[in-house]
Amino acid sequence: MASQNMDPAAASSTAALKGSETGGAAAKGSVSKRLQQELMTLMMSGDKGISAFPESDNLFKWIGTIDGAHGTVYEGLRYKLSLEFPSGYPYKAPRVKFITPCYHPNVDEHGNICLDILKEKWSALYDVRSILLSIQSLLGEPNNESPMNASAAELWENQEGRQHCVSISLPCCAVMQRVSIRFPTDL
Amino acid sequence: MNSGQSHVMPRELPAAWDTVTAALVSPLSPNSTTEEAVAEALAMLGCYRLAQCVEGWLLETMQVRLTSAVAPEFWAGLEQPENEMEERDRARVLLGAFRTLLARLEPFLGGLERLGAWQEEGRAGLCGPGAHGLRERALSVIRAILLFSPSALLQDRVLEFYSRTFSVHMSQEGEGEGDGEEGALATERGLCPGCAVPPSQCWCQEALEQLGELSHILSRLQLLERVSSEAVTAILHRLIEQRMERRCRGEYESSFLSDFQEWLERVLGWLSRVFVSEAGGSDTPAGGAASQPGNAVLQRWRCHMHQFFCRIYVNMRIEELFSIIRDFPESKPAIEDLKFCLDRTNQRQQLLTSLKSAFETRLLHPGVHTSDIITVYISAIKALRELDPSMVILQVACQPIRKYLRTREDTVRQIVGSLTGDAEGCSDLANELSRADPVTLETQDSEDEGSDPEEWTPDPTDALTDKTGSKRRSSDIISLLVSIYGSKEIFIDEYRTVLADRLLHQLNYNTAREIRNVELLKLRFGESHMHYCEVMLKDVADSRRINANIREEESRLPEEEQPAVPLSAMILSSEFWPQLKEEKMELPPLVSQAMEAYTHRYEKLKAMRTLSWKPHLGSVTLDVELGDRTLTNLSVSPIHAAIILHFQDKSCWSLEELSGALGVPQEMVRRKLALWQQHGVLREESGGRYSVLEVGASRERPEKSVLLIDSDEEGDSNTTTQSEQREEKLQLFWAYIQAMLTNLETMTLERIHSMLRMFVATGPVVTEMDVNELQAFLQRKVRDHQLIVSAGVYRLPKSSH
Repeated sequence: MASQNMDPAAASSTAALKGSETGGAAAKGSVSKRLQQELMTLMMSGDKGISAFPESDNLFKWIGTIDGAHGTVYEGLRYKLSLEFPSGYPYKAPRVKFITPCYHPNVDEHGNICLDILKEKWSALYDVRSILLSIQSLLGEPNNESPMNASAAELWENQEGRQHCVSISLPCCAVMQRVSIRFPTDL
Repeated sequence: MNSGQSHVMPRELPAAWDTVTAALVSPLSPNSTTEEAVAEALAMLGCYRLAQCVEGWLLETMQVRLTSAVAPEFWAGLEQPENEMEERDRARVLLGAFRTLLARLEPFLGGLERLGAWQEEGRAGLCGPGAHGLRERALSVIRAILLFSPSALLQDRVLEFYSRTFSVHMSQEGEGEGDGEEGALATERGLCPGCAVPPSQCWCQEALEQLGELSHILSRLQLLERVSSEAVTAILHRLIEQRMERRCRGEYESSFLSDFQEWLERVLGWLSRVFVSEAGGSDTPAGGAASQPGNAVLQRWRCHMHQFFCRIYVNMRIEELFSIIRDFPESKPAIEDLKFCLDRTNQRQQLLTSLKSAFETRLLHPGVHTSDIITVYISAIKALRELDPSMVILQVACQPIRKYLRTREDTVRQIVGSLTGDAEGCSDLANELSRADPVTLETQDSEDEGSDPEEWTPDPTDALTDKTGSKRRSSDIISLLVSIYGSKEIFIDEYRTVLADRLLHQLNYNTAREIRNVELLKLRFGESHMHYCEVMLKDVADSRRINANIREEESRLPEEEQPAVPLSAMILSSEFWPQLKEEKMELPPLVSQAMEAYTHRYEKLKAMRTLSWKPHLGSVTLDVELGDRTLTNLSVSPIHAAIILHFQDKSCWSLEELSGALGVPQEMVRRKLALWQQHGVLREESGGRYSVLEVGASRERPEKSVLLIDSDEEGDSNTTTQSEQREEKLQLFWAYIQAMLTNLETMTLERIHSMLRMFVATGPVVTEMDVNELQAFLQRKVRDHQLIVSAGVYRLPKSSH
C-alpha cells in the first residue's frame, strides 16, 4: 500500500536533482489525464445517487452530489460536496467537504468529513467514484468511534441502538456493549 | 516642272532626258556606245540640275505601271483559266504568273540598279540612297501595291503548291516509307506517293524544280516571307496535327519525342527548299553574306516548328490527360513527353483547368465506385508527381477529388481495405505500404528536408497560396490519402474495425498476415497509435494458448465429465476492441453449460478475470444426422445451430415457440430457418410450423426453389456501424450532460458545449459535435421531458434523481 502512495514523479525529481521542477508539468498533465479518465468512468458507471463534475474549466475542482441512500434517515436528501484535487493526486488524497450543511456524526459544522480513506487510509487505487460511494455509505453507517459532531453521534447511537437490537446479530462488540447499556434508559 | 529653273531651255535637254530614261528602263544591256551617250546626257541633265529628278521619275513610273498594268495582269494571270484545271496546271499557272511579274518588273529593277550605281559613283552630282537603298525602296513599293489587296486565290494556290511539294519532298526523303495519309493512300492505289498521280505522269521532279524557281522569284522580289509564311505555317500546323492524330492519339505507351524530332528535321529539309533561294543564287550585292540570313530564316522556322509541335502535343495530351492518368504506369512515356513539352509552352493553367473539369465530369459523380475513385487518385498522384515534381499540379488538380472523397462514406473503409490488400484489384496501396523507405507521417511535416538550399526553386505561380507555403508538398501516396480527412486517427480506428472483423471472421488464430500489416502500419503511423491493434493481435495469440490449455485440462477429465460440446474461444480484451454488435440470444442449455464450464476454467487460469460471452459472433461446426442421410461438417452461425439443436428435442416447432425459446424476434428466426430449409433438413408446414424432414422428400430437392433470404446477412460486419457508434456517443454525452447539470444546476448551451469539449475524454472513437448538433440533441431531450429549458438555460427536471 505504501508503495502505491509514492508519487513516482516526485520521487524521481527529488532523486535526480533537488530544486529542479522538471517533472512538474508532465505530472500535471498526467494528473489531468487521470482525472479525465475518472470522469469518464464515473459517467459510464451510471451509479444512481452519486454524481460529480468539474466546477468550471478547472479539472482540479469538482462539485459532487450525493443522494441519501434508501432506508436511511438521509433518504430523499441531496447533498453537494466540493472536491479539490492536489497536484500530487492520486498519490495524495483530494480534499472533500460538504457544501450543503450536513448533520452527521462524522461531519463538522464546516462540512469537513472524517473518513479514514480520505486521510491516513488513502490509496492511489481509490477514485472519485469510490470516494463518493464511501461518503454515501458513511451517511448511513457513521463511524461513531471518532465523532466530529458529538450531538449527532449521540443522537445516532440512540436510533442506531433501536435498529440493532431488533435486527442485527453481532457486527461489532464494542458498539453492541454500549448499546446494551443504554438500552434500558431509553425504554 | 523644271522650266522655272532655266531661263533658256536648250534643245538638247529633252533629248538627253529621253536618253537617260530610256537607258534606265530598257531591258537591253548597255553597250559601250549607248553607255557613252547616256553618260553625256546624264551630264547634261546634271548641268541643269535635273539629274536628281531621275530617281523620282523612275520610282513614279514603276509605281504607275505597277498599279495600271502589272498588278492587274498578275492577278488576272493567276485567275485566268478558271475552270477545271489539274493541280499540275494550277501550279504552272501560279509559277507563270510570278514569272510574268518578274519579267515586267525586271527592267525597273535593272534601271534602279543602274541609277543606284551612278549615285554611288556620284556622277552628274547624283546622290541618293545607292543601289541597295533604291532597291529596298522599290521593293517595298512593289510589295505594297501588289499585295495591297491580295485575293484569297493566291493563298490557296500557294498553299496547294507547297503542300504538294512538301509531300513530294517527304516521299523522296522518307524513301517510300509511306509517310502521310495521302502518300500511303496513293501508294496503295499505285500512284506516285509524292504527287498522287499514276507514276507515268509523275511530276514530282517538275514540282521540285518549280518550287525552286518560285522561291527564287519570290526571294528576288523579296516577297518570300509575305507570300509563303502563312501557307507554310498552315501546312506545318496541319501536318503536325495530322501526324499526331494518327500516331499519338490514344497511344500512351511509347515516347514520340525523338520520332517527331527526326521527322521535323526532314521537314526542315523541305523548308530549306522553300527558303533556300534567299540564300543561294542571289546576285544582289549583299550576296556574300546572304547565306547568313538564309540560315537565320531557317533557324527561325525551326524554332517555330518546335513550338508548334510542343503546343499541339500539349493540347492533345491535355485533352487526353484523364485517360493517361487512368493508365498511368503504362502511360509513363506520354507523361514524360508531356512534361518535356509543357516546359516549353505556357499551358499549365490550361492543363489544370481541363484536368479539373475532366475529374469532375468523368470521375466525381455518384455512378463511380469509391474504390475506382481512389484508384484514379492514386494513379493521378503517381502520374502528376512525374509530370510536375513541385507537386503543384497534383495539389491543385486533385483538390476536387479530395473534397469529393470526404463526402463518401466508405472512403476510409476502402482505403484501409486496400492498404491491407483485401480490396479487390487494388494492390497499389498494399505495395506502397510495404515499400522499403516509408515516409513516417510525423516526420514529413518537419521543416528541414536536408536538401541543399542552392537547389531551392520558387513555387510556380499557380501554386495554391495556403499554409503549406513553400514547404515541400507531399507526394507520398499514403500520407496524401490519409490526409484527406486531416487526421490519421480515423484511419487507425477504421483499421481497427477492419482488423477486428477479419480476426473474428476467420476464427482460426492465424494472424501472420495481420501482424505484418500492423508492423507496416506502425512504421507509418507510429507505435503508439497502433497499440490497440497490437493488443488485439496479442489477444488472439493468447486465446490460442488459453484454449490449448483448457482443452488439455478437459482431456484429462474422466469420460463422463467431458463437456458435451467442444468449445474454443477467442478471448478479447474489451477495452481494446472496437464496439461489438450486441445481439441477444438464448443458447440451448447444452451449449451454455459448456460455456459456463469454460468460463470456470478460465477464471481458474486467470485470477480476477472472467468471460462475457458473445455467442452470436461465433461459428459452429456440426453434423446433422437424419433418418436416411447425414450432413457433415456444416459450418453455420450459432443461431442456426441453436435452431437445429432445438429440433433435436422436438421435431415440430411453431415460429412463436422457436422465437420464445431462442429469445430472438420471429422475423429473424424465419430468416434463419431458410438455411435449413435450403439444406432440406426442415420443412415449413401449414400454420407456420416447421418440422424435420427425416426422410429426404425427393432427390430433386424442391427446396431449391426456396429463396435464400438469409444470404443478405452473411457479409455483415461484426462491429457496430458508424451510426450505431454515433448513437452510443450521444448516450455518453447525455451522461455527461446529466452529470454536469446535476452538479452545476443550470447551464447555457455554450457552457455545456465547451464543457463537453473539454471533459469528454477522447476515447478511440472521436466524434466532434458542433453547437447546432448539440442544440438539436438537447431539444430532443426537452421534448422527451428529460430536460427543461428556460431563458436559454438548461436544467434537469426536479423529479429526475
